[in-house]
Amino acid sequence: MKRVMGALALALGVCMTGTVRASDTIKIGMIAPLTGAWASEGQEMKRNGELLAAELNGRGGLLGKQVELVIEDDGGDPRTASLAAQRLTSRGVVAVIGTYGSAVTEATQTIFDEEGILQIANGSTAVRLTEKGLKNFFRTCPRDDEQGRVAAAVIQKSGAKRIALVHDSSAYSKGLADEINTLLSAKGVTPVFFEALTPKEQDYSAILTKLKAAQPDIVFFTGYYPEAGLLLKQKKQMGWNVPFVGGDAINNPDLVKIAGREAAQGFRFLSPPVPKDLDTPEAKAYMAAYQKKYGEAPNSIYGVLAADGFRVIAKAIEATKSTETPKLREYLVGSLKDFPGYTGTIAFNGKGDRVGELYRVYAVDAAGSFVLQP
Amino acid sequence: MNRRLALIYGIAAAALAVVPLLAGLSPDGRYWVEVLNNVGLYALLALSLNVILGDAGLFNMGHAAFYAVGAYTAAIFNTRLGVPILWTLPLSGAVAALFAVLVARPVVHLRGDYLLIVTIGMGEIVRIALVNNVFGLTGGANGIIGIARPSLFGHRIRRSEEFFYLIWGFVALTVFLFHRLARSRFGRALNYLREDEIAAEGSGVPTARHRLKVFALGAAWAGMTGTLFAAKMTSISPESFGVGESVQLFAMVILGGSGSIPGVVAGAAMLTGLSEVFRGFASARMLVVGAAMVLMMAVRPQGLFPVHLPRFRAADLPSPGPGAPEREALP
Amino acid sequence: MRPFLEQCTNGLAVGSIYALIALGYTMVYGVLKLINFAHGDLFTYGAYLGMTLLTSLLLHERLGIGPGLLVLALMVMGLVALLGVLLERVAYRPVRSSPRLNAVVSALGASIFLQNGLMLVYGARYQVYPDVLPQTAFSILGLHVPVLRVGVVLASVAMMAVLYFFVQRTRLGAAVRAVAIDPDAARLMGIDVNKIIMLVFVIGPALGGAAGLLVGLYYGQISFTMGWTYGMKAFTAAILGGIGNIPGAMLGGLLLGLIEALGAAYLSMAWRDAIAYGVLILILIVRPSGLLGERVADKV
Repeated sequence: MKRVMGALALALGVCMTGTVRASDTIKIGMIAPLTGAWASEGQEMKRNGELLAAELNGRGGLLGKQVELVIEDDGGDPRTASLAAQRLTSRGVVAVIGTYGSAVTEATQTIFDEEGILQIANGSTAVRLTEKGLKNFFRTCPRDDEQGRVAAAVIQKSGAKRIALVHDSSAYSKGLADEINTLLSAKGVTPVFFEALTPKEQDYSAILTKLKAAQPDIVFFTGYYPEAGLLLKQKKQMGWNVPFVGGDAINNPDLVKIAGREAAQGFRFLSPPVPKDLDTPEAKAYMAAYQKKYGEAPNSIYGVLAADGFRVIAKAIEATKSTETPKLREYLVGSLKDFPGYTGTIAFNGKGDRVGELYRVYAVDAAGSFVLQP
Repeated sequence: MNRRLALIYGIAAAALAVVPLLAGLSPDGRYWVEVLNNVGLYALLALSLNVILGDAGLFNMGHAAFYAVGAYTAAIFNTRLGVPILWTLPLSGAVAALFAVLVARPVVHLRGDYLLIVTIGMGEIVRIALVNNVFGLTGGANGIIGIARPSLFGHRIRRSEEFFYLIWGFVALTVFLFHRLARSRFGRALNYLREDEIAAEGSGVPTARHRLKVFALGAAWAGMTGTLFAAKMTSISPESFGVGESVQLFAMVILGGSGSIPGVVAGAAMLTGLSEVFRGFASARMLVVGAAMVLMMAVRPQGLFPVHLPRFRAADLPSPGPGAPEREALP
Repeated sequence: MRPFLEQCTNGLAVGSIYALIALGYTMVYGVLKLINFAHGDLFTYGAYLGMTLLTSLLLHERLGIGPGLLVLALMVMGLVALLGVLLERVAYRPVRSSPRLNAVVSALGASIFLQNGLMLVYGARYQVYPDVLPQTAFSILGLHVPVLRVGVVLASVAMMAVLYFFVQRTRLGAAVRAVAIDPDAARLMGIDVNKIIMLVFVIGPALGGAAGLLVGLYYGQISFTMGWTYGMKAFTAAILGGIGNIPGAMLGGLLLGLIEALGAAYLSMAWRDAIAYGVLILILIVRPSGLLGERVADKV
């Protein structure tokens, strides 16, 4: 009852008083989807972070102190994320890496910003996140408009005249589809089909039949891999052979599992490079270290983007000999140039976006592997 | 209400009033204030569902739709027309109530399980409409962002502690008003409706009209809570208003004690508190909730904290003649 | 014309699955006057158990595809039927004499429990069925129809036919119908009502489990939330056809599949689920007894 609740809250408040500690470590925070729909991404983020923290501490830490990675679970959901962000801010972290999922990141942005904590997101590509003028927000991942540009280029290069765009009504997917649509329209091309399917369903024969009736030369699907897998499989069942191309949310090995090798072959999608295609010597050495510690190579590029986020923060702290956010921020915007990230060279612009093109085209081969296209 | 309950409320209120002040003393304090804020919002929603489900016995599993309508109304009026967010409170309540009347009207005569399924369907239709950016107003899956913070007498409410007072103040007001409702003629009629509709109709209770009214009332309160939610989160999106939310609310009311105001608040606190404690084990938590529901219905269907208040005091009854047994005062 | 016909075949295939699941709802409702919320989850269990058995026992390799799948189907149906009986004992029998709300809540709780239990065991990710069935198709009337799609419809119709025969032509089936009409009178006639209820909870869930297996084999991908959507749609189908009415459930399922496919194709894909729910609400307002229902639902 209310009295019990009140007493409980009181007791907790008093108990918590004792938990303030002296800061003899540098705490770097991470907010990640350890549970929920994106748990596989979150778990990799965690692994990347822990590996780097261990390596850093092995080399003497930062500014003479040991580095402690503080991780909170955002559950892949905005509400849980805002609570997790609150918890992180109360733990004395100097900067935060994360998270995956634009809506989830958005829920945490204001909280970190209000507390003046630097945030580097690794898996949130919605354009609006860096258009709000938040000074302490950065991201190592690209933006959806970059993906839109590359998508439009791929479509044009394919020589297709009749273009179909399919999305799943989610913020990311529709945003990307809109972006592509705008770019195509600017060149005078109007898609013959622009509709959404309902995600998390199984039977897409209806939309495929409708698509087929529109007779496109190419279909671009901006949704996620489960639906993409089903689309590919069912399109093959229909005996329909029009090429499909996808966005980066399709980058997941399960795609081939769901679609079946035959159906997936020849499918192309856009993505930042997958970890095994990262070819600098440092990246290769890092992959080997990861493999050694965890028994398998990293699967997701977003985990490695988190790793780069961590390294960028560490570099900023070292270079400015400080953990104060304004100094770190200034360094990242002004002085960090051509930082050798595992995912490529990193520099940030004034909005906090990563400078440079990251998106590549991948194709699925007959064995079901993702092959980088030149 | 009886003296003991009033005392409990008084102590709880005093304790809660002090919490934000204590929160400043500890690093995790802000976090617990946030948790209590969430408890408060859920308590409001559970109370609003309670009048429909607990008092009137109408199976409503689409309550999140009213919440959504209120939140979106507030957001739209605030972001597009510049109406200060607190002023949208009555607006969102009214729009939600109107919406409830419109959708409930054709189906309110349905019996129990049918009504349940229909309300689920309606809740889903609302969510799909929001995602599809119906009328071009709802922002699709992105939702609406940039909702302004509330400002009370010139003071901008921004921090968790400030929201705490706003939310729990509203809770206190709601508890008070709903207790008055329970003792009112309308409130008693609702209970009558729940217990035996035919007899109620026969006694002259206009059942259909009352059912609509109670839907409107519950929806209005959920709508206003939606405004508070929108103001606190500054951005809202359809994923916060799905079937899962409705099911949670339903569980809060049932497990806490349907029809019982303190019970329902306790149910909200319990389930929200459990979510936080079992943060990492979302599935396990829901497993326990599901099992609890089955168990409760077999063992203690009145809920964990049922408080059924007498509508009258024993002393008000006409005194029997001499020689009649002493009446026992009701607890 | 061709796209229209293709959409029709799509709709019929999906609809036959709805019909199979709807039968479970309608039978339980017929005897208990209760909507078994957990039925959709039993369907999901069918799909998952099917996958586990398929990948671990490899019956299709040992016995050949036909017999292998048949044995698999029987196993899945048996297991899910067992689950159904358990469900009845634990969640429904204790509240049989309590007010309606208690049974509803208990059903809901059971559904939540089952769904999350599945998630804990299998994890939240999608699961995939191994590719065991031929993906060939044939042309009829210029339409490209996958063999599997026809197979799904035929399998469903076959099961429904068996059920119909059972209910209409056997003594036990007559007992089921009797309990559905009036349990007390049936008891007076010497029918063991508890046993009949248990039987219903064997048949309904078995059909639901079979539907789950079919879905897994046909679409190849399953997730633990599919029970929810299919459940709602199957319930709509049962209402559409007339709840408590077995041919009604079959008709309702097929019809709903068609309406949904055509509505989504010609109105809007994104509103597909809303169309299905809209049908539900419309039916309950306009003709609550459904298409084939004789009895009007009480207090409507």
